[in-house]
Amino acid sequence: MNVYERKFEQVLKKVQKPARYIGNEFNSVHKENFEKFVKFAFCFPDVYEVGMSHLGMKILYHMMNERIDTVCERVFAPWVDMEEELRKADIPLLSLESHMPVSSFDIVGFTLQYEMSYSNILNMLDLANIPLKSKDRGENMPFVCAGGPCAYNGEPLADIVDFFILGEGEEVNNEIIDAFKEWKESGENRISYLERISRIEGVYVPSFYDVKYKDDGTIESVKPNRTGVPEKIKKRIVKELDNGYILDKMIVPFMDIVHDRITLEIFRGCIRGCRFCQAGYLYRPVREHSTDKLIETAQKLIDNTGYEEMSLSSLSTSDFTCLQELVDRLLEITVDKRINLSLPSLRVDNFSMELMEKVQTVKKSGLTFAPEAGTQRLRDVINKNVLEEDLLRTAGIAFGGGYNRIKLYFMIGLPTETMEDVEGIADLAEKVIDVFYQIPKEIRKGRSVTVTVSTSSFVPKPFTPFQWEPQNRIEDLVAKQKFLKERIKTRSISYNWHQSHVSFLEAVFAKGDRRLGNVLVEAQRLGCRFDGWDEHFDYEKWLDAFKKCGVDPEFYAYRKIDHSETLPWDHIDIGVSKQFLVKEHDKAYEEKTTPSCREKCSGCGATSFGGGVCFE
Amino acid sequence: MSKWRLKFSKLGMGKYISHLDLLRTFTRSIHRAEIPVRYSQGFNPHQLITFSLPLALGVTSETEFVDIDFEDTVSPDEILTRLNKNLPPDIKILKVSQPIFKAHDIVSAKYIIDIIAPRVILKEKIESFFEQENISATKKTKKGEKEINLRDFIKEVKVVSLEGNAFRLDALLSAGGEANIKPDIVVAKLQEYLNSSEFESVDIHRVEIFFENDKKIESFC
Ligand code: SF4
Repeated sequence: MNVYERKFEQVLKKVQKPARYIGNEFNSVHKENFEKFVKFAFCFPDVYEVGMSHLGMKILYHMMNERIDTVCERVFAPWVDMEEELRKADIPLLSLESHMPVSSFDIVGFTLQYEMSYSNILNMLDLANIPLKSKDRGENMPFVCAGGPCAYNGEPLADIVDFFILGEGEEVNNEIIDAFKEWKESGENRISYLERISRIEGVYVPSFYDVKYKDDGTIESVKPNRTGVPEKIKKRIVKELDNGYILDKMIVPFMDIVHDRITLEIFRGCIRGCRFCQAGYLYRPVREHSTDKLIETAQKLIDNTGYEEMSLSSLSTSDFTCLQELVDRLLEITVDKRINLSLPSLRVDNFSMELMEKVQTVKKSGLTFAPEAGTQRLRDVINKNVLEEDLLRTAGIAFGGGYNRIKLYFMIGLPTETMEDVEGIADLAEKVIDVFYQIPKEIRKGRSVTVTVSTSSFVPKPFTPFQWEPQNRIEDLVAKQKFLKERIKTRSISYNWHQSHVSFLEAVFAKGDRRLGNVLVEAQRLGCRFDGWDEHFDYEKWLDAFKKCGVDPEFYAYRKIDHSETLPWDHIDIGVSKQFLVKEHDKAYEEKTTPSCREKCSGCGATSFGGGVCFE
Repeated sequence: MSKWRLKFSKLGMGKYISHLDLLRTFTRSIHRAEIPVRYSQGFNPHQLITFSLPLALGVTSETEFVDIDFEDTVSPDEILTRLNKNLPPDIKILKVSQPIFKAHDIVSAKYIIDIIAPRVILKEKIESFFEQENISATKKTKKGEKEINLRDFIKEVKVVSLEGNAFRLDALLSAGGEANIKPDIVVAKLQEYLNSSEFESVDIHRVEIFFENDKKIESFC
């Protein structure tokens, strides 16, 4: 037992949900002799029940712990009540497994899943007594690294993070651990470790690059400041998923977490190419697991977890080539064990309704569709290939099959959007309702129907064809929300929308550059944390932080950027060419759609990885 | 007879596993252990698992009991070994036997309470707290808060050791359906009485559960 453990244990009496902090869950890995390992602290900058629902963390956690020379322990952001107690009792941030201070680890790795978790990263470093800026970290301090989708443009964190891992971590994580051992033996200084790993493909050491700015605030150049580091850093992927690390066990938490079930990853990437969707470009090319491997893995996961639910995971379940076969075979091994199978993100078609009937034996809960835009014109602009008639037909089938609740997801503030498009959202929802009443009373369930319309605000993201687009101003978004709210007359439609202030900051940090580092430091100092949680998000504090640092957030979110401008993330190579994104951007304005990778390759550049759908 | 009573311990950080979470933990451990178990009838079938006397959050224990309906095909030995392989480390099955006594008849539970106070405390002072006729306290119930005389719930307390600012109590407190009290209320009231600022540490451990059988008090098993 270390010095803090006793105090820590006592503090837990005073907080809500102490199970967040205890560790020792089934399948968690606890290694004796902490000191003799390469010590990796895997940090998720959100609360336990959110972080534990994340698949990437589960994969890397078990993978690293299978190494006999490494211990990987989990760290989550303490909820605000716990933070207060920790600070009061002078306990630093501890890992979940051995309750060791995070600062005693060799590598402290954060996963960046959403921009609004950045303040938590700084707050966690602060709680761990690790200097916020990489330049202030001494020779014996841990290295702070970050991976995950937001790391592709991690520039706002460039002063904070020692190195980024770009792409899928399975191979790179092993390589940086190997390099760590070699470096440790060499007795060389801190910089030398960073130099060693900067030669590993997929590793980006931001301090090895100098950014020059023009007078108008745009970027003049981003150049390596030493020899031996690449001009462009290319992301890493696992070429053959079946040959990569296979996750066949998962920690089974005590408390209820957001996704408390088996997650079976069926493929990575997406063939669709919706123009607003960052994931659709970041994870190219599409690579699938074989059905045989999936069944084998599913069986092991069932045996090793005892979970009563299994959910398939991918960006778009329907696009799995052998979905029918997979579902049939999964049902064979789940039904007898009373395990529910759930298929999220199914596309709208007859086939998916049939599948749904098969797996949903018990409850007919609501259905969810994401047309994203209200008119066909705008759906063509964003390359969301959902036709109105398809949606209505499926709604009809669903209502006929006993459903009477439908959720529709849209975005407002998309490029080229007019009020007509916004109105289209209400029209579409009304048409869905009409479909319900056209069905004979004897067949449909219930007397009435509820359609829930949810709108989020469009956030332009790096590495998408819309990366050059300005975001709608907050006032405009609010006006559109208000317009839509007034336009919705019937009480069968309920409307909810996302806070536009959050979306604005998301855009700022998604497309931000290194000058935002100071803003993050200031925001943490002002007490910003858990910005993804409505009850803790404090917009005024953020504005204050921007003002104090002399940074204009609108520069990042509201500026229409020219194709010729150097972007803060141009030195990062995700395998999809900038040329392709320009072409897609132009096509959006021509209202022309682009076929999916399986219909026709559009030459995005991802063939360079030498695998996946491009070679099917 | 397929209903078995499992005696188990809940130690270490396991004390922060809530009652609901513990139920889920058992359900999933049984799944993993592949022990055939009976399910309830009805719309939402669940395993038939009943805890004899729920343990307060933050308390460790070496005598917890849970009744589970298994299929006839498994032996008690098998249940014990297979389940222990599949339970998280802080929970351990100690014994599997046929339930004889009813949880309904439970009347009290014995706790060992270790306290470290911020300053030296006199034994007499602690004893005088428990000698009071009336200790008013508020008890949280399902319906809200209720004023009670805590003394009615304290059956017996001994200061078994005291050294400087650390002391240990043996406390027999009312438990079960009729009159149940959480040991932490007693500790909180004691702290208040001693005029102490917050105790530096409090460790509460349940050692035994008692029930009434033919007017006699016996150890529950
Ligand atoms: S190269 Fe072609 S097939 Fe491969 S991801 Fe790009 S568009 Fe799709």
